Amino acid sequence: MARHHTPDRDDRRRPPGALLRPDGSAPTGPEEGAEGGLVPAAGALPETLRGPATLLLGLYLVGLFLCVAGNTASGTSLLIGTIKDRLFAPWMVPLWLDLGHDTRLTYGLPEDADHHLEIRLAGELAGKPSGQGVGRPTAALRLPADGDHSERAARWRRLAAAAALAEEDAEQAGVLPAAIGAGSFAAAGDDDLEIRIVRSVPPDYASARSPRSDETALEVRVRRRDGELQLIPIPPAEEVAPLIDAAPAPGGEN
Amino acid sequence: MGHRSSSSVGALAAAAAGTWDRFWFTPTTAGRLAVVRALAGLLGLLLAWSWAQDLVVWFGPDGIVSPQVLGAWRSPTALSLFDVARSSAALWALFLVGVGLLGLLAVGAWTPLAAPLAALFWASLLHRGPMLVGPADDVLAVILWCLVVGRSGDAFSVDRRLAAAESRPSWRNGLALALLRLHASVIAAAAVVSQLKADVWWNGTAAWWLAARESTRVDLTGVFAGSEIATNLVTHAIVLFEIAFAAGVWNRWTRGPVARAGLVGWPLIGLVAGEPMWGAAMAILAWACLPDESAAGTAGPPL
Repeated sequence: MARHHTPDRDDRRRPPGALLRPDGSAPTGPEEGAEGGLVPAAGALPETLRGPATLLLGLYLVGLFLCVAGNTASGTSLLIGTIKDRLFAPWMVPLWLDLGHDTRLTYGLPEDADHHLEIRLAGELAGKPSGQGVGRPTAALRLPADGDHSERAARWRRLAAAAALAEEDAEQAGVLPAAIGAGSFAAAGDDDLEIRIVRSVPPDYASARSPRSDETALEVRVRRRDGELQLIPIPPAEEVAPLIDAAPAPGGEN
Repeated sequence: MGHRSSSSVGALAAAAAGTWDRFWFTPTTAGRLAVVRALAGLLGLLLAWSWAQDLVVWFGPDGIVSPQVLGAWRSPTALSLFDVARSSAALWALFLVGVGLLGLLAVGAWTPLAAPLAALFWASLLHRGPMLVGPADDVLAVILWCLVVGRSGDAFSVDRRLAAAESRPSWRNGLALALLRLHASVIAAAAVVSQLKADVWWNGTAAWWLAARESTRVDLTGVFAGSEIATNLVTHAIVLFEIAFAAGVWNRWTRGPVARAGLVGWPLIGLVAGEPMWGAAMAILAWACLPDESAAGTAGPPL
């Protein structure tokens, strides 16, 4: 296939100061000089580097393919994972190039909803409006604030989502909520906090006029006792409250 | 017969080698890459601002992303310069140095030094808080490493203004632009593959799920709620655009149109998806994919 030559990227065009072939085209590789030696064209890749550069490029292309194939939400095969981890991760991870680029944008799942972080004092003070406590604010701190569309807010949302999703991972479960609690003790002035991860779930398209609903993805109590950090899961409300059947039993009292 | 077939194989191999060389190593002027450099530097500064406001809250001595948290999140081979910043002052000092490097990159000052150091800073920052990283951060990291390869300081830069000699085409610019084009295509293709695993991208309601989130930058819920056809149209348009972009940048007839469409399309998708910075980063990659006659044709004027 004929190559489309352009004024800017043209391997036949003479770069400024470059040597000319007899036909007037600009060399892109080593050029035979007046005395028969090899003289690299101006701006061209020296012939001695062509082999190593090609080898490095080939290596990188394989690494790129393996990173894309090995970093999907669907998981990866043992073969690809092993090759990538042994041969490519040691140098691609530090450069932040071990990326899958699987930008799904949304799957319409609850985990794709915007996540918020709520931090409030635990125990009796919890949930009271600000000002009704004992001299310090007791209202929940919500991060990011409602209506905040900044990139900073997006990072808080990612942090909250990561904390919720990590509950499915044995190694990561509870780590972030505990860290969020510990990191908030000083600001809250208390060593006993409740951390709640809230999902703001959009309505289905079928009920598009409905408002978003807040769902609790995770709720824990984090406290420090005698210098030791304790993480106490708070079960969802439906697990601790009795279910009350609103409809009267047939023949029963109303 | 045997001689003829071996010579044809040799000719094919030579043609393939020539194509490979032309794609990766053609000497190219720095103008287009310089625009990528300036835009990437500016995007880096914008993204850095979003890290700066909570830097100590996240990474400080008593920050949320403590070494224990990192131990559970980070790959064993990950490294970060920020790991050695044990105090808030050291953290801020390192961060401000990095911001300065991004600024130098944006204006093209000491570019041969600023480009690799800015890429190193960016990778270190992302490794310090991997759970806070978004798709724009990822794409910017790729762009910054590609810039390390080229001579992007040869045009539209302080370096160019201070240089005594005229800048020349370089194979390094061609290689950097080829890498950027490759990644633009791979990122778009990977996004499509990822999206098409979910029903919402097939039944046409994905645009609704994007628009109905609080984080979206343009409120299209009224439009989508009133017309399912419009919702389907936007959903399918996003997928088709990504497919067209991923494939189109490899054909000389389609490369220009899809790259130009990418300058508009990616930011629009970013706005709808609540990831405007990602849209901007992809638009920078689209700029790198433009055919040469559409981009800055020469080394360009000094800053």
